[in-house]
Amino acid sequence: MDLIWSDYANLALNGLAEGLLMALPALAVTLVFGVARFPNAAVGDFVSLGSFGALAAHRASGGSTLAAALGGIGAGAAGTWLGWRLAFRPLLGRKGLAMLLTSIGVGFVLRAAMGLGLGHEIQLFDLPLLKAWRWGPLIMNPLDVLVGAMALVCVALVFALLRFTSVGRTMRAIADDMDLARVVGIDSRAAMARMWVLSGVVCGVAGLALGLKTQVSPEAGADVLLPAFAAAVVGGLGNPLGAVLGAVCLGILQELSTPFVGFTYKIALSYVAMLLVLLWRPQGLFGRVQGVR
Amino acid sequence: MNSLDRRQLLVSGAVTALLAGRGAWAQVPGTFRIGALNPITGSGANFGSGMQKSILFAAEEVNAAGGAAGRKLEVFAEDDQTSPNAAVLAAKKLLEVHRVQAILGTWASGVSLAVLPMTNAAGAILMHTSGAVALADPKINAKKLAFRYQGSSKHLSRAFSTAAKKEGLQRPAVMALNNPALAPHAEGFRKVWEAGGGKLTEFLLYEPGRPSYRSELQQVLRSKPDGIILSAYVADATAIVRDWAQLGTPMKWIIPGFGANVDFIKGVTSEVAEGIVVVESVVNERSSAYARFSRQYALSMKQAPENNVYAAMCYDMVQVLALAIEAAGPGADAVAVAAKVREVTTGKGQPVGSFEEGKKLLMQKKAINYEGASSAIDFDDENDVDPTFSAFVIRAGKWQRTYAINGA
Amino acid sequence: MEAYLLAIFITALVYVLLTLGLNFQYGFTGLINFGYVGFFALGAYASAICTARLGWPAWSGFLLGMVVPFFLAWPLGRIALRLRDDYLAIVTLGFSEVVRLVIINEKQLTNGGQGIAGVPKLFEFGGAGLGGDALLAAVLLLACTAVAWLVRCVVKSPYGRLIQAIRDDETALLALGKNPARFKTQVLMLGGAIAGLAGSFYAHYIGYVTPDQFLPIVTFQVWMAMIMGGVGRLRGAVAGAFLLLLVLEGSRAVRDLLPGLPEVAMSSIRLAVIGVALILFIRFRPQGLWGAPRD
Repeated sequence: MDLIWSDYANLALNGLAEGLLMALPALAVTLVFGVARFPNAAVGDFVSLGSFGALAAHRASGGSTLAAALGGIGAGAAGTWLGWRLAFRPLLGRKGLAMLLTSIGVGFVLRAAMGLGLGHEIQLFDLPLLKAWRWGPLIMNPLDVLVGAMALVCVALVFALLRFTSVGRTMRAIADDMDLARVVGIDSRAAMARMWVLSGVVCGVAGLALGLKTQVSPEAGADVLLPAFAAAVVGGLGNPLGAVLGAVCLGILQELSTPFVGFTYKIALSYVAMLLVLLWRPQGLFGRVQGVR
Repeated sequence: MNSLDRRQLLVSGAVTALLAGRGAWAQVPGTFRIGALNPITGSGANFGSGMQKSILFAAEEVNAAGGAAGRKLEVFAEDDQTSPNAAVLAAKKLLEVHRVQAILGTWASGVSLAVLPMTNAAGAILMHTSGAVALADPKINAKKLAFRYQGSSKHLSRAFSTAAKKEGLQRPAVMALNNPALAPHAEGFRKVWEAGGGKLTEFLLYEPGRPSYRSELQQVLRSKPDGIILSAYVADATAIVRDWAQLGTPMKWIIPGFGANVDFIKGVTSEVAEGIVVVESVVNERSSAYARFSRQYALSMKQAPENNVYAAMCYDMVQVLALAIEAAGPGADAVAVAAKVREVTTGKGQPVGSFEEGKKLLMQKKAINYEGASSAIDFDDENDVDPTFSAFVIRAGKWQRTYAINGA
Repeated sequence: MEAYLLAIFITALVYVLLTLGLNFQYGFTGLINFGYVGFFALGAYASAICTARLGWPAWSGFLLGMVVPFFLAWPLGRIALRLRDDYLAIVTLGFSEVVRLVIINEKQLTNGGQGIAGVPKLFEFGGAGLGGDALLAAVLLLACTAVAWLVRCVVKSPYGRLIQAIRDDETALLALGKNPARFKTQVLMLGGAIAGLAGSFYAHYIGYVTPDQFLPIVTFQVWMAMIMGGVGRLRGAVAGAFLLLLVLEGSRAVRDLLPGLPEVAMSSIRLAVIGVALILFIRFRPQGLWGAPRD
């Protein structure tokens, strides 16, 4: 059947919503990469952890979204900080591959711990149902708007932190050039620890967003890992703005492609797009030129 | 090559030592050994533990009644992890190490399809709850040693088709999760519906694990169906129906029971769920077998037995097996026992609801017809049971039975 | 008992082939392939489609099962050359997922998510098929030996020394006028063919293939086997594969020893063991149990 312009517009809106949802895990991946120089494969499981924290806080507070956000942030930050202390800090200075493999192990352990401790049943947030917002033929889901707003606020806060605070400047310094930063007297270890916690905070908010949109279970976060990687890669690993823009672009592209490739292949599109971007610009759309090849 | 042999010997030695340590496999003479191979972990985990427990307590019942043809039932339990790989190794262990003569309770079609050639080769019985039509294929079930206790995809599709017709749908659409359990139902429905001269406005399979199914739903709605058959699990069913509710387009939904349970109703709210039609294969509620099963299930699992119809099927598997052993007489092997299964369940015998009852009558050389907890347990020529389905409608947040489909 | 151990042995040999192939790709050239399961899937499906869907003889499946991954690895190789390690890891991960999505979508060919059943056994004789399985194990052992010997020859040859040089210093190579690009691609292609061979054996043994059997976790399991055994060592590949099987199948034995353990916990425990093993090995023994002391 033929689609009219509003159908495409609605698809684009769906893609935007999905892209904003993915922007958070993509941001978490790129933050770690910028400073620790490896793609963190445990991000998905930190997101699951965050969603459990958010759910618990949501139930305990009788349905407050703010409490849920704090719960998610707490759980995510605690998780990444523990991961840093127990698994990643002892490996400082090792090759990226070693860290990547360790992060895979950390993800497994975290998933197993959640399965053992919290059970495998799928849990859902208790949410009131709201009517969709319509502007003519365009339709928006209020939940998508909430999730999108959360993502934008989180992203804005992270950017502000990185740009305008000394803590953020320190992080950017060690991301740019670790040795130089140390020479200048920056405590790189402390800055790294703070970056891990920040990444965990982002994972926590992502967990809340994911839990609201889909479900809460030990396996739920793992589904966002690959799309997050793809988005971060497209935007240029290490570039926070790139990760967010990458996620949004891939999301919109993905949904717009469905009338042509179907609902199964639309998922493959992210990977194909990622590949094409890398072939054209091996450092990603906004990535830095050094250290690429 | 030397180091390879040495290492391999070391490893297999270690494994043997581990395995033999228990001594739990001293084979007790005069028993009929059963393997309980169920999805304790993996995607069937919701049902697996209950299924395994049901086999265990059913075997205890049989043994308490004196065993079958002078033999007690001995059960060895394994987890098939809802995966053909793991199932093959587990089945090997059951068949070769524990020397079981029957494997009961495989749930996923992939698992049953992987295990059936092995039980056939070993001359053992396989009783399963999988839907794949291939399992009844005369080439694959050539020795007739496999028995299906749940509706095959064929039956399920027909049930949904009947419901759709009864609900007055002329232009339905189908939406289903693209996985080995649910996609076949959707395909089957399409076949049956189109064979009956009907047409579908849209047939859409969506992938698992996506953050949103908005675009998928919008595509289905664009085709302007008068009803949607949704084959989904609770999480995605909730997401899709919530999305639909926010759009406000009137629609008739037909959803299988496992997707539209209490959690679904809570998730979409009772107002939204009002009027949704649910099709579910129902247990044989009025049978004494069901009464006994549900009491024991609630005690052992501390859960409502209604949520696990597969467990009821597993309970029946043991009862039927025991009755067939009794009918086959002392010392009968699995093949001889298999030949008696239809005799004790299907046909003109006196209806019985338990092993104990049936054993008494069999000892008096009377014919029996076991009526089970999960269904009347009547096997057709392909060793498939003809299950009972019912349609329900959700009213005020609860399922209300509206009509039966396919018989009693 | 023998049949059970034989079943474990056969599964282990399939993993040995996989580990040999991955070891070849990464151990000798440093090419990070996180999409290895994609080649495995291609081999398995090639055999399944040829024998169960088209009724062709088994060797056609084996041939296609090696040729398709071999050629499909070529574009991947060209891409690998232009990318940094981290990007390559993610791109290859995406590759194996794309393979899986194609398998799911092309229902005419692959029966989609429902999988292909009835892949015939390679050898069918002996009590309960025991003879056939024993012969299969012997053939697999032969295949593993052949592949190991082949890899050894390649490694020891001047060509092989070149490959190892790639791993150590690429700029020096370029200065010598040698182009590492072609060699890396060829290694990727050979490694892919080895995985395809493993896939064919696997399909014939299990008899049933579905997309769910080829998820990224299989790649991670092979990586773990390679790391445990020792990167760059043939002995390590073999040992690592058997160790992996011990972890995966050993959990079944653990339950026999500790009957109080709830079965539902086992899948989490299995996952935790793999995770902890990865973390500990990388941290304390990155060269693996049999690997060279340097890394």
